[in-house]
Amino acid sequence: MWLLAALALALLILLPLGWLVYVSVSSEGGPTLAHYGKVFTDPHLQRAIWKTVVLAFWAGLVSLAIGAPLAWLSARTDLPGKRVIRGLVMASFVTPPFLGAFAWVMLAGPNAGLLNKLYRGFTGAQEPLLNIFSMPGLVFVVAIYTFPYVFVMIVNTLELIASDLEEAASILGAGRLRVALTITFPMVAPAILSGFILAVLQALALFGSPAILALPAGFHTITTQIWALFHYPPKVEMAAAFSIPLLLATALLLLVQKKLLGRRGYASVGGKTGQRRSIQLGLWRYPALLGCLAVMACAIFLPYGILTKAAFSRAWAQPMTWQNFTLGNFRFTFFEYSSTQSAIVNTLQLGIATACVGGGLAALLAYIANRRIILGHQFLAFLALAPLVIPGVVLAVGLFVAYTRPPLLLYGSLWILFVAYVTKEMPVGYSQSDATFRGIHPELEEAGRILGAGRLRVLREITAPLARSGIIATWCFIFIGVIRELSASIILFTPSTKVMSVVIFDLKEEGQFGAIAVLGLFMLAMTFATVVMMQTALGRDVLAAKE
Amino acid sequence: MPGVIMKDLIKRYGDVTAVEGLSLQVKPGELVSLLGPSGCGKTTTLRLVAGFLKPEAGEIWVGDRCLSSPTTVVPPERRRMAMIFQNYALWPHMTLAKNVAYGLRFKKGISTADRARRVKKILKLVQLDGLESRYPGELSGGQQQRVAVARSLVVEPEILLLDEPLSNLDANLREEMRFEIRRLHEAFGITTLYVTHDQGEAMVISDRIAVLHKGRVVQVGTAEELFQQPRTRFVAEFIGKTNLVDGVAAEPGVVARGSLRLRVASADLTPGAPVAVSIRPHEIQLVGDPEARALGENGENRLRGMVQRVSYLGDAVDYQVQLDGSDVILRVAAPPSLRFNPGEAVGLAVARAACIPLTEGGE
Ligand SMILES: Nc1ncnc2c1ncn2[C@@H]1O[C@H](COP(=O)(O)OP(=O)(O)OP(=O)(O)O)[C@@H](O)[C@H]1O
Ligand SMILES: [Mg+2]
Repeated sequence: MWLLAALALALLILLPLGWLVYVSVSSEGGPTLAHYGKVFTDPHLQRAIWKTVVLAFWAGLVSLAIGAPLAWLSARTDLPGKRVIRGLVMASFVTPPFLGAFAWVMLAGPNAGLLNKLYRGFTGAQEPLLNIFSMPGLVFVVAIYTFPYVFVMIVNTLELIASDLEEAASILGAGRLRVALTITFPMVAPAILSGFILAVLQALALFGSPAILALPAGFHTITTQIWALFHYPPKVEMAAAFSIPLLLATALLLLVQKKLLGRRGYASVGGKTGQRRSIQLGLWRYPALLGCLAVMACAIFLPYGILTKAAFSRAWAQPMTWQNFTLGNFRFTFFEYSSTQSAIVNTLQLGIATACVGGGLAALLAYIANRRIILGHQFLAFLALAPLVIPGVVLAVGLFVAYTRPPLLLYGSLWILFVAYVTKEMPVGYSQSDATFRGIHPELEEAGRILGAGRLRVLREITAPLARSGIIATWCFIFIGVIRELSASIILFTPSTKVMSVVIFDLKEEGQFGAIAVLGLFMLAMTFATVVMMQTALGRDVLAAKE
Repeated sequence: MPGVIMKDLIKRYGDVTAVEGLSLQVKPGELVSLLGPSGCGKTTTLRLVAGFLKPEAGEIWVGDRCLSSPTTVVPPERRRMAMIFQNYALWPHMTLAKNVAYGLRFKKGISTADRARRVKKILKLVQLDGLESRYPGELSGGQQQRVAVARSLVVEPEILLLDEPLSNLDANLREEMRFEIRRLHEAFGITTLYVTHDQGEAMVISDRIAVLHKGRVVQVGTAEELFQQPRTRFVAEFIGKTNLVDGVAAEPGVVARGSLRLRVASADLTPGAPVAVSIRPHEIQLVGDPEARALGENGENRLRGMVQRVSYLGDAVDYQVQLDGSDVILRVAAPPSLRFNPGEAVGLAVARAACIPLTEGGE
């Protein structure tokens, strides 16, 4: 059983990657580097690469600019309503970015966007105030859903630093700002940098927001370009060759991040979690609170508001009056639009199946690695975390090549999506399970063994009950990840295997904003229901549980 | 009731050798302590016996069963042993009664009623009756420790293994539990291996003590044997306080260091060989300068020196005495009735039998 699990993992990861590399260098006439040649000389593709770099860099920077102060305020000061703010960061964390992008189209589209209309109404100007279909617009929308990565990273580090360290400096006469700059900052610097890298990684791998905002603005990113290469006639080899640089870039960035954390990260701050006293903000608390609220308005209130409005309106751009009120969008979405029902069923099936099977596999692997059951267990963690460096689109290309040919013909069925999701969620599942098993001392199992229980019985009667809440949390994390997945699905779906995110994307092509809003809210409701379930299971703040 | 035989065990972790050719026999019904400093391989040895680890070389026998060898290891659940862990390893999701009853489920021919009866009996024995439905988190450290004991004893194991079971208790409780464990051992008579790094604990509890150093047994014996006839420098220093004088074997029964000549307990030393001599501080008798002249030799050691430092310890006084014409400083534990002051010249009388030559090993 142990070996089987390990083999399954190896197959899951290595097969698509192997095929990806193989296809990228193959042609009818034997091995070739021609595809790479084209990738790096074609001006369109070059431009996509450049735009992606710009996007990722700025999105990382803006995430930092939002996430770092927010983290400091929430971890270190007497800012009122900190719990609420954490809850809202969590909400932004689980909001599918493409839904946010849709919402911002309705808020800040150059013509019909609500904010632009208000602006025109007030000033009588002709020109729109904001144009979301632009690089700055894209950076903004990406950043408001990516900053939680920075936030979590920094909050976790700040909470490990005992404030005596800071107080020691204060007693020596350093001012508040000075303490922040000379003591606190250097200690959180690795976390800041690695938060930045995480945000950059997110931005690099993102498909939905660029597809919604960059394409109308007239440019591609790498991910949308790869997707476009799949349009008829599909140029799979080119897509594969184009995927490899993205893969290498993510791998490199992640390596840097690991190094940063490994060398000076938590270890140097670790030790005792000493007493922390919050810093008195005094009158500054009001502007600070206002700033936080502004961020939340952009990430949560405005988008959720406009989605709700659109869901209940005949025409979303018109004022909310009784004439404009309708439940028709719901009827249309759930009963008239042909693919919705099957998409919901597909999504639920896939979500549950992936959470169960993928979560189970991840738990098994983490258990094997933790208890060193088989030879070569050191590689399991490496393999299980490997999908972190594979952007969804790239993974999809790999799976597409791997499973459109014998012996495993999965393309066209839900199976290929299932495999994609299991692979993509493996790192989340693995690191969650790993943390769970780490928390269960092996001696608890050994005590059972020596008293006469076999390994499997101990696993069932001692380990499993102790790991229960951790396993439920893992299940929820994976489930949430699956129901919002777009970037791999968009390449792997076929008309009979659409999932909710794909349907939302289709509806965009048809300009059905009301239906998008309805389905989007439905998706959000599912997500938050799962979050609540998880909070209950863990009995604590979920953000804190996340790495 | 079988005994345990460990033969030439070797266990490595990567390039660290934790256990390096360890051999030890535990007789049936005997309680043997594994005593040694941190990192000497005590836990590793115990885990080898329990079957959690596989030896790279050597064998472990219990009675006529070979349980571990580099080729086969009988899994822990089939060894008929029980183990008490340093952190007790109580299962937090089970009540005290369930914790204790767990091992009984795997013993054949015990009815449910019988099981409940046995649990009740053992809990009474360790004075935990009435707490059956508590969870481990609701018990004090001492109570948790007793649950762990009960959980192990209730299955009537052939061999009982304990890994520093008292180290998490406060000093008073620790003292009390030493006697408690000894009492239980005498009541049940289970062959027991007891790991500790506390010599006092080992001395109170054990029939015999095996002193471990760098993955080997350096000496086995009763507390008295180890204290009075240490064979190596390591054992002499580890068991109790001692003075060590490094010298060279001279004529038979004499060890020399410069002008200092000590008559020692053993005559058979190879002349010219380096020898360390161990002298326990309380074996040295201090006398005032005038009396020293009056003392005859009688074949014992008579030395002179000057008091350097005096520490009053309540039940004894600890002196550091610099020997005349030598670089040796001896510590002396004397009864508080006699008092000398720093700078005072004194005579020292040390019986030949109290000077133990240590020949084995450089350490
Ligand atoms: N799992 C392991 N991996 C690598 N080295 C180990 C492992 N367990 C123990 N060691 C090493 O083996 C040696 C012996 O360890 P062991 O735990 O047996 O010591 P010990 O005598 O029980 O010490 P202590 O009194 O501190 O518990 C030590 O040097 C230790 O660092
Ligand atoms: Mg130990």
